[in-house]
Amino acid sequence: MRFSYTHHMPYTGVSNAGQDWPVSNKQFDPQLGVKLFERYIADKIYAEQAGFDWIGSNEHHFSPYGMMPNPNLVGAVVANRTTRAGILQSGNIVPISNPIRIAEEYAMLDVMSGGRLVAGFMRGIPHEYVAYNVAPDESYGRMHEAIELIKKAWSSPEPFGWEGEFYQFRAVSIWPRPVQQPYPRILMSASSDASAMLAAEVGASAGFLRIVDFESTRHQIQVYRDRAKAWGWIPTADDVMIGLNCCIAPTYEEAKEILESGQKYFFGVLGGGIRTAQKLVIQKTRYFKDAGAADKFKKKTAIQREVSFDERVERGLLVCGTPEMAIDQIRRVHRELGNGRMNLSIKIGNIADHHVTRTLDYLRDIVFPAVRSLGEYTDPAQAAE
Amino acid sequence: MFKEKTSKLTKGSIAYFTGGSGRPLIHLHGASGVRPNAGLEALAESVTLYMPVLPGFDGTSGIDGVASMETLADLVADFIDKEIGEAVDVLGLSFGGWLGAWLAVRHPSKVGQLCLENPAGFRPDSMAAPSSDPELRKQQMYAYPDRLPPETKSEDVLAKNRAMLGHYHGKTSFDADLAAQLSKIECLTLIMHGTRDGRVPEEAVQLLKRDIPRSHLIYIYDAAHSLETDQPARFAHLVSDFMERAEAFLVNQGPAGDRPQQVL
Repeated sequence: MRFSYTHHMPYTGVSNAGQDWPVSNKQFDPQLGVKLFERYIADKIYAEQAGFDWIGSNEHHFSPYGMMPNPNLVGAVVANRTTRAGILQSGNIVPISNPIRIAEEYAMLDVMSGGRLVAGFMRGIPHEYVAYNVAPDESYGRMHEAIELIKKAWSSPEPFGWEGEFYQFRAVSIWPRPVQQPYPRILMSASSDASAMLAAEVGASAGFLRIVDFESTRHQIQVYRDRAKAWGWIPTADDVMIGLNCCIAPTYEEAKEILESGQKYFFGVLGGGIRTAQKLVIQKTRYFKDAGAADKFKKKTAIQREVSFDERVERGLLVCGTPEMAIDQIRRVHRELGNGRMNLSIKIGNIADHHVTRTLDYLRDIVFPAVRSLGEYTDPAQAAE
Repeated sequence: MFKEKTSKLTKGSIAYFTGGSGRPLIHLHGASGVRPNAGLEALAESVTLYMPVLPGFDGTSGIDGVASMETLADLVADFIDKEIGEAVDVLGLSFGGWLGAWLAVRHPSKVGQLCLENPAGFRPDSMAAPSSDPELRKQQMYAYPDRLPPETKSEDVLAKNRAMLGHYHGKTSFDADLAAQLSKIECLTLIMHGTRDGRVPEEAVQLLKRDIPRSHLIYIYDAAHSLETDQPARFAHLVSDFMERAEAFLVNQGPAGDRPQQVL
């Protein structure tokens, strides 16, 4: 099992961010921002020392939910201050950005890190489209075209132009080119049928984040694997990454108290404005390809309200408790889903930074040594028999 | 929109179709022969198209002494002399792109600017030949078969058209003689490749871009081998812009770029 450390870099200086979209930035204290960035980046560097294989940064806009509108800036710092871990950009939100800019900045990160970039291509969550004034209906079309264009920019030895539906470039020749040839490893979300099929078509590793239950996640993994086979390749366990929130403490009660409080702040304080915009996007556009995908998204957001914390732990949707419990929980996820990678989000909402460090230490000293050997791929269908 | 005419050339007569409005543009057809379509009709809004029926295609007779890509290029040069009388822009699709490249090598003074659409003739010998399975071939040819105009040619004519390819280039898939001379092409050249083209490999257009000195390679997104029917608007806009503005087509014109501009 290999682990990825994702840190949303939330702004924790607000106690009531309200429900308006966008969230007014008058609440942002730049001096506190300076301290938070310093701490959060230090945590990312420390995660490598704790044994994480990938250090993740992601993109969000216009809210205290995350202070990384350009995760590539953070990725560059992490690349410079680490030596071993993969630089996971999970990712740039492809449909709302200039794809050539993504190709260029990712190539820079790959060169600056000596070939450690893991290139995340994300479609983003709905409110990002409001932020950057991109029609949500165009989301899938832009995503598909932009990825082809980015791959071409990375791999074409000759300058080229592009005449597409959403993008037109008459002459492209990026400098630098990536170290990893023909292009870096790609990671994409595969949490809906449409996104799982696209990840398979692109030849990307797949991330299944904020899972609702094992059954539906198994289905998504199978969609991804079946489609990949149709495109002529076989994903391994290493291509399947499951994302879970994680908190480890001396007792389950303490871990629960910390994580539950952090999640409450995350959804209740940081997530209010985002939900307002998401509702608008989901109700008024064709952001999702079909009603099933929209329902699944709603289900994911509703589960935070409708399912108790203990029940989520019981269902295997959180890594929470003592180190020994965390080991069992990680083993269970692997047994159920056959994943070879796991993304752990530890800084949830306003969880105190020293608690984050403590969880990292438990992972390094007790949990990782016990679960490292997991990862030989087991077909979920066979595992279920 | 296109009228059929006859051109009397030194070695014999050929048919051609012409129509449109604007500066002349020679269109050299692919293996299917002359086939008016939405892309060509859109292009004809800004240029006057001349589309010769190459000897032996579309039910016409061959011409003695015209049995190779080189001699066919000489025949097209004669057509330019007779019908245009000066250097003219040339657009070639697949087999026609191959022929256009020979024309530019052998008769540089006849060619103004050159457009190669998914040009055949440069498939490396190390690569497998394209499939002859009808269903797979269809997928490789057309991203959107429903956009094809209704077929007006008989199976017999289409089969003879395909046979004419061998008449002109034998079983060659990589034209080494021409590849060795690509650096002689002096004219500004646009190479177009459909991102879903299953007939012409990426390596072929990369080679052309590498070896033709003043060339630009542009990918047409979501088009297979038949650019003109898969993405007619993108095809016509790109070709007309390239023809009108030459090297300046690299520069974004803003909203004015949505319509053809006169070169000052």
